[in-house]
Amino acid sequence: METLDHKEVINLLLQLASILILARIFAELARKFKQPAVVGEIFAGIILGPTILGNFFPGAHEYLFGAHEMTNIAFDGFVQISVVLLLFIAGLEVELHIVWSQGKKPLYIAVASMVLPIMAGFVVAYAFPEFLGVNINDRIIASTFFGLAISITGLAIVARILMDLNLFKTSSGLLIIAGAMIVDVLGWLIFSVILSLSESSNDGLGVWPTIGLTFLFTLVMLTIGKGLINKVLPWINKKLAWPGGLLSLSLALCFLAASFTEFIGIHAMYGAFIIGVALGDSEYLTEKAKEILHQFINNIFAPIFFVSIGLKLDFISGFDPGIVGVVIIVGLLTKYYGAYFGGRLAGVPRKESIIAGFGMSTRGSMDIVLGLIGLENGLVTEPLFIGLVILAIIASMSAGPLIGWARNLKV
Amino acid sequence: MYQKVALAIAFSPRMEALISETKRLVLLFGSDLILIHIGKKTDELEAKLEEIIFKTGLDKLKTELIWKEGKPVKMILEACKEQKADLLIAGALKREGLLTYYMGSVGRKIIRKAPCSVLTLIEPKVESTSFEKIVINGSQLDITPHVIKVGIDFSKQVKADQVHILNEIKMYGLQMGTACEDSEDEASQTRRQLVQDEVTYVEGILQKIDQGNLKTNIKVTGGRWAVELARFCEKIDADLLVVGDDYKLNFFDRIFPHDLEDLLSTLPCNLLIVKN
Repeated sequence: METLDHKEVINLLLQLASILILARIFAELARKFKQPAVVGEIFAGIILGPTILGNFFPGAHEYLFGAHEMTNIAFDGFVQISVVLLLFIAGLEVELHIVWSQGKKPLYIAVASMVLPIMAGFVVAYAFPEFLGVNINDRIIASTFFGLAISITGLAIVARILMDLNLFKTSSGLLIIAGAMIVDVLGWLIFSVILSLSESSNDGLGVWPTIGLTFLFTLVMLTIGKGLINKVLPWINKKLAWPGGLLSLSLALCFLAASFTEFIGIHAMYGAFIIGVALGDSEYLTEKAKEILHQFINNIFAPIFFVSIGLKLDFISGFDPGIVGVVIIVGLLTKYYGAYFGGRLAGVPRKESIIAGFGMSTRGSMDIVLGLIGLENGLVTEPLFIGLVILAIIASMSAGPLIGWARNLKV
Repeated sequence: MYQKVALAIAFSPRMEALISETKRLVLLFGSDLILIHIGKKTDELEAKLEEIIFKTGLDKLKTELIWKEGKPVKMILEACKEQKADLLIAGALKREGLLTYYMGSVGRKIIRKAPCSVLTLIEPKVESTSFEKIVINGSQLDITPHVIKVGIDFSKQVKADQVHILNEIKMYGLQMGTACEDSEDEASQTRRQLVQDEVTYVEGILQKIDQGNLKTNIKVTGGRWAVELARFCEKIDADLLVVGDDYKLNFFDRIFPHDLEDLLSTLPCNLLIVKN
């Protein structure tokens, strides 16, 4: 087994240290300005990556991120694990019983807030593929992907905003949370299907078996899988060290599910996400355990992933104001109006629908992961991905003030 | 408290115990009683019922017998509607088998579809159950103020020793997970605030209710309320759990069970389901 040499180990450790330190500094700065940590972490990546460090201190950038190929491969392993864990925690955040308890309203809001952006995104991308930067050879799939990428809601970010505004437990808050949970599940389900239909994804078992297996895997994990988890978890909680046993085995389960879905041709992240949903919905996974998993992943692995985005791209040379403008306008308007009309259709009062519109427009987590997979699979170009990242930053920064404003509306 | 109490009877070995339990409650509430039997009315069954009524000492003037033929669940619910019963008492087994869970036993179907409140007794006794320890669901739901009021009124009537109101912090893990972006002091403050908010919510409801001499204890948990309620009831060996229900459950709810369905799959103790 090949291993890293002395210099490569030092390099890897320096990479991780610089990423975690800068991510922390910028997350703290974001916190000072009442902004989500993810915004600070993305900025930290932009500073450490080719955009700032590479342009202004090329020597330092080369030493940290370009000198050792093996180190970069090892670092990529860290990033892959980080994304899988991020999806796992995103799955844990989905609590199906909350979704069921809210009735049909969040379903209307979630579906409408996805249908409108997907349709508008598809039309824009299909009509102007070269301008926007979607893969012209895989036009239908790439255009649908663009629509889907702008239709995702940032569940963890909106949860934090609602807590800060003291709206989390209100009917509007629970409506948005349940809606965002539905969006997460539907989004990843649709994405897995899109990816298996994509021409660039020709590994695995083929298109239709993959789609069938995606649905089967989802159904089995959420019924039989959850039943098995319910049988095993009490034993783990009782007999093994706590929370050590639970943490290591739940992560092992996450990696197993991720490798299984990767094997059958769905992306590894889907497996991590669904196992997160199944585990999170189990009554035997205590809230304390969820809190620990959140802290552990959000403070160590999430920064590594969000900083790594900035390391991969030059946000100055890749910045295209036209693309960014279109992505932001289409993304924000369609998501807001989709959720708003969905709410009105379900009989939600106007003011609550407006709040839901702004709440559902929050982004900044899964949409970025999704965009990155699209970039890696050649569905979108760098400028379009940068547009998606900027949309995520603007949407997550503006959601708090907009919801706060809407709350005081007299309508 | 209840004007008309209905009891579904099936000539099972537990019938006498169920009638005895019901008699005690009917006397406490000063209500009329309707005994509903679904099945053919035969002389033999009639005589058997007469004998039990005599044995248990039911007041015949305040008791009405209804015999109906047809599908048990449908006919029992129809009789409740026709008679405008405001409480239906039924017996149920503590645990549902896998098949009956998905197909639905008569007892569970009644609980799920009843138009009025339902009191489910898992171990009815001829000498009557004493409701000493009562647990009320205080989780923030639209129906909760009404559930707490009914639970307190019931507790006063049956002279309960201890009344526990359990409230949950919704999505505690997610809330504290996002609070980990804050400093230690701020996160601790968030934690305290989450608990305090739930206590304040229940206190606000209790202030509007005459609690008499009841000893009421408010307890806050994190997690799914149905699961936490079941655990708490088993832990303190509760005699009655009072929860609310404001919508009808269907087969889909059993595939992806939510709170009330979780509770129905394994009844931790006797259960009073309050409906609006």
